[in-house]
Amino acid sequence: MMSVRRGLMLIAPLALVLAAFFLVPVLMLLPTSFSEYMPGSGLAKGVWTLENYTRIVTDEYYREVVLRTLGLGLSVTLVCLVLGYPLAFLIARGPERWRLPLILLVIFPMMLNLVVRSFGWIALLANRGLVNNLLIQMGLISAPIKLMFNLTGLMIGMTHIYLPFMVLMLVAAIRNVPRDVEAAAATLGSSRLHVFTSVTLPLSAPGILAGSILVFVLTISALVTPRMLGGPTYRVMATLIYDEYMQLLDWPSGSALSFALTIMAIGIIWLSSRLTKRWAGMA
Amino acid sequence: MSALSFEQLGKSYGDVAVVNDISLTIREGEFVSLLGPSGCGKTTILRMVAGLVQPSRGRILIGSDDVTALPPNKRGLGLVFQSYALFPHLTVYENVAFGLRRRKVAGAGLDKRVKEALAMVRLADFGQRYPRQLSGGQQQRVAIARALAPRPRVLLFDEPLSNLDAQLRDEMQIELKRLQRGLGITTLFVTHDQGEALSMSDRVGVMAKGVMQQFATPEDIYHRPATGFVASFIGKPNRVSGIVVSRAGKGGVVRLGNAIELPAASLDQPAGTRVDIIIRQEAVRLLSDRSEPGGLQGTIALRSFSGSRVQYVVRLAGGVELVAETASHGPNAALAPETPVVLSVDADSVFTMPSEGAGA
Repeated sequence: MMSVRRGLMLIAPLALVLAAFFLVPVLMLLPTSFSEYMPGSGLAKGVWTLENYTRIVTDEYYREVVLRTLGLGLSVTLVCLVLGYPLAFLIARGPERWRLPLILLVIFPMMLNLVVRSFGWIALLANRGLVNNLLIQMGLISAPIKLMFNLTGLMIGMTHIYLPFMVLMLVAAIRNVPRDVEAAAATLGSSRLHVFTSVTLPLSAPGILAGSILVFVLTISALVTPRMLGGPTYRVMATLIYDEYMQLLDWPSGSALSFALTIMAIGIIWLSSRLTKRWAGMA
Repeated sequence: MSALSFEQLGKSYGDVAVVNDISLTIREGEFVSLLGPSGCGKTTILRMVAGLVQPSRGRILIGSDDVTALPPNKRGLGLVFQSYALFPHLTVYENVAFGLRRRKVAGAGLDKRVKEALAMVRLADFGQRYPRQLSGGQQQRVAIARALAPRPRVLLFDEPLSNLDAQLRDEMQIELKRLQRGLGITTLFVTHDQGEALSMSDRVGVMAKGVMQQFATPEDIYHRPATGFVASFIGKPNRVSGIVVSRAGKGGVVRLGNAIELPAASLDQPAGTRVDIIIRQEAVRLLSDRSEPGGLQGTIALRSFSGSRVQYVVRLAGGVELVAETASHGPNAALAPETPVVLSVDADSVFTMPSEGAGA
């Protein structure tokens, strides 16, 4: 067993970097989030208020953005899970010689810049983009379908970008499910489907939850893709925070939103880790 | 409970035959072990019986039903794995209930049979635990209860005791055999441990390279090995390279090294073949009467005490060494190194097999 002191020394470099360049700046935002913003002159001195936080819940527009962000996070996670599980299963259980090519295919999009990928989706999804042009020329639709600057566009783009994370997590989890345990269920009378639902799925639960947490947190905090595919008006929390800071110069409101987003993310992670423990019988 | 038979059962991967057309019948209620080194095909046979591996040739029958094409869940077998393979996300109770639920046993009947099965393996109070809260031996007993609870027609064991420590393994051997006898359930037990196979089985099948070398009672396997391989695999053999000097009837004379000639009662190879000569350690006797004819002159090179037995490494003419085993009390129990001795070997206990270097 490694001593606590040696353990601490091993994580010290990273902990120091994180403390200096992440924790301290974030904490410096904390007072800002309780300040009052005076349009034109900046922060009001010596005045503290909770309004920046209460507004997130009471203001209809903010509330809509928060719910939209959560909804987007949930749906992207679900779609990634549903699309990713069969693929991960194939990679984990399929022929050995398919494994590397398939994993490379999954990872490949991650080697391209996020902006490039988002532009790619714009070229495909815009009103005069590839998809709409094709559908119109085939005579299937007469007017272009709105695929961008709305939930559809964000869902498509974000699912594409975060699917690899889900798949990689699931591959590891499915490969960890002992084949003997599945064989045991089969000899005890389980059909293939029942083996999957009663053994494979619960035993890969840790991977399902880890992948879901990762995709969810990445989705709700993503900035570039929502900005490009959502446009200036269809906002999620990350783009809203960006605009509060950079365009409205309303730092207190931006800070409060940032903290709200962080707390939501931490809350979700905490909830899911508790779920994992119960679901996989590790409680 | 039913008999289990194989008819010309074989399995190949590509051109490589891992199981070579084996036919045998395990009688109702019989305990049969398949014994062999790793890679001999014994586990493949077991997995074919369980339906986890599809045979390339031949048929598997349980009773009079041909189950060759049935999926594992339709075969009505119990399988116990080396890795235990318990469901880690279910309690012990639910592990045992799993197979019963698949057979639509429910309510009071289910509860009764789960408790019966747990009581059989002496784990009645462990129902609410999770597998990871149990020791290895307890986990394996849960696995046995889980396999027994649905009252399978045939029970299969895949090296079930290999992960347990020595003392626990001995206890489990006795416990398993008692259970099997009590239930009278047809059992196929796969192991690489000859002690396990000999002590538990009604009959033992010794396998090498996908071929059944001998299928007989433990006594026959031990005292009357059918092939040199069986002789070399069972017991504690001396293995010395040599040559078949001459043949006479079933037997002949073999030469160890370049000086020592021994009669052998049964030989498979013609005269002049280079062979490995197998002589079991307990078949090499230390003679107290040095003048007895046919004795081999030698000196003690090493003495090794192992509780109830003593082993001597004896150096013979031409540098050939044989290990002789004897009881650790009596006249020959404490011979010092360099003591001159005379060895005698029964012709019945000398076996030959193709020389390792020369190929099969």
